[in-house]
Amino acid sequence: MASLVQVENLEKRFGEVRALDRVSFAIDAGEWIAIMGPSGSGKTSLINILGGLDQPTGGRVVVDGQDISRLGERDLTRYRSEKIGFVFQQFHLVPYLTAVENVMLAQYFHSITDEKEAAEALKRVGLGDRLDHVPAQLSGGEQQRVAIARALINHPKLILADEPTGNLDEANEAVILELLRELHASGHTILVVTHSPAIGNLADRRVELEHGRLARIHVPSIAKD
Amino acid sequence: MHTRSMFLRILWKLLGASRGRLTVALIALASGAAVCSALLNVNLDAEKKLTQEFRTFGANVVIAPPVTGGDAALADASVMDQIAAQHDPRIVSRIIAATPFLYVAANSGSQPVILAGTLFDQLSKMNSWWKLQGNWVSSGGDREQCLAGVAAARQLGLAPGSRVEMRSGGRTISLDVAGIVTTGGAEDNQIFTRLDLAQGLAGLPGKLSLVQLSVSGTTAEIEEVTRSLASAATGLEVRPVRQIAAAEGSILGRIHGLIFWTIALILALSMLGVLASMAALAMERSRDVGLMKALGGPVSRIMHLFLAEAGALGVLGGTIGFFAGAVLARWIGGRVFGVEVSPRLVILPVTVALTMLVALAGAFPLRLLGRVRPAEILRGE
Ligand SMILES: Nc1ncnc2c1ncn2[C@@H]1O[C@H](COP(=O)(O)OP(=O)(O)OP(=O)(O)O)[C@@H](O)[C@H]1O
Ligand SMILES: [Mg+2]
Repeated sequence: MASLVQVENLEKRFGEVRALDRVSFAIDAGEWIAIMGPSGSGKTSLINILGGLDQPTGGRVVVDGQDISRLGERDLTRYRSEKIGFVFQQFHLVPYLTAVENVMLAQYFHSITDEKEAAEALKRVGLGDRLDHVPAQLSGGEQQRVAIARALINHPKLILADEPTGNLDEANEAVILELLRELHASGHTILVVTHSPAIGNLADRRVELEHGRLARIHVPSIAKD
Repeated sequence: MHTRSMFLRILWKLLGASRGRLTVALIALASGAAVCSALLNVNLDAEKKLTQEFRTFGANVVIAPPVTGGDAALADASVMDQIAAQHDPRIVSRIIAATPFLYVAANSGSQPVILAGTLFDQLSKMNSWWKLQGNWVSSGGDREQCLAGVAAARQLGLAPGSRVEMRSGGRTISLDVAGIVTTGGAEDNQIFTRLDLAQGLAGLPGKLSLVQLSVSGTTAEIEEVTRSLASAATGLEVRPVRQIAAAEGSILGRIHGLIFWTIALILALSMLGVLASMAALAMERSRDVGLMKALGGPVSRIMHLFLAEAGALGVLGGTIGFFAGAVLARWIGGRVFGVEVSPRLVILPVTVALTMLVALAGAFPLRLLGRVRPAEILRGE
């Protein structure tokens, strides 16, 4: 079976800085990958390219059979709405929209809105009673759960989370972790950037970056690569 | 739930979230619209008022027989019927007055004097600025009356209430001087009496020297009236008095120009106001736009939101401005032109359309948000 994601000789330069330097690896559908590495090692750069937020300066990224390194602005936008679910460290909800409207916003950009379905998605992350609250009325953990509901609403091929627990305390980290675990169990493909060893150990594989280079791929159960 | 209603839902929240800045923009738009609507209202009424006023300052069209050799040819009085027979309402309504004249070279004692036979009601409509000492000629009464030009009166030693006798070609009439007029023109040397009396004295019944008309309107409108009269009054020349038409036209033109440029300037200023608050708004919204783009929001959809927002602001500002402007127009109209300016509904769509354009142009900083790169925006912090 072909991999869902193939990264080949990926390179991203910001002027003199090589944020990514000939990185290659593949992700199978349903896999949970943790991306780890010190600050500045290129984790966010990698996830931005995989999510179609940025374009590589070299190499190739194929996602679901589509070479996204060659897509124009318009196609990348469609790619993001159809294939990707983002979760950010800073939650990034629209402050003047309610929880349910934030989820509906993703539906709106994808195709058509369905308030019931959006409410269902919030119930699944335990926020069934907070539908009409705006982000300012929600705790950090709750905001991140809204973001997860939003990321899932369009049934994306790939969930990309950049330090999703980086701004949360331990209790909330545990809640998010549990949600990720459920997503993985139900067959989602997840890529999480994290500094948390706990998340790293739960993932199927850990991709470790150093100075933009792929340092090692660590498989907790089976030794591979 | 439809996509359209989600659009309105986001738009509504967006308006609510930015109401501070949007209120500032709205104030800028509404004040621009108010001045614009006021000036447009005043413009229409002032033009009407001014053209009416101009038309009390003497004739601007003359109908006369063509000049042939040295002889002063005469016109047939039937030309008055031809003028009266005009039935196109656009022509009729423009003719403020049509005053016939028959000039008779007469003598009073040993002094030569010109007797002008005319219709007094028409004469007064056309020459309201004449200074009158004594009374205007009254119709009825058992004695025939006249008005004396101030120079003629001095020459003949006339005053209101005195009597003047005039001779021409063996005939004589005797008239009571009702009043003395000061006209500032050739009329100061003439004596005015009823047309039929002058015709009788000259032995020229049914004859006229010329007809002076006061026609209101723009140069083009006056020419339209002139053409129509020319085709009715066969054998006569119908000529606009060019200097007058040109002077009036240029005054109106200057007023239009002044109003046009004032409106342009006001709208430009109001756009600057909108621009300033929209620029601040754009800064505040860059993160949200970056986020929307990251979520797969097409730039066009996001821009439609902002355009709809600016459009709504324009409609609201234009409408408020229209009504505020109507009040302002009443005030300006009364103060400056002494006219009752009645606000016109046609100006509402014009004001709203202009204000919308200003709002959309002022929303330019928001359009720049389309270029926001989500990766850079979301990375920050
Ligand atoms: N827009 C940019 N312009 C210039 N340099 C950049 C830009 N974005 C990233 N970099 C540089 O690229 C390198 C990799 O950055 P990146 O954000 O991918 O690291 P990271 O692994 O996510 O770090 P962190 O753990 O601190 O989030 C860094 O040296 C960074 O300074
Ligand atoms: Mg990072």
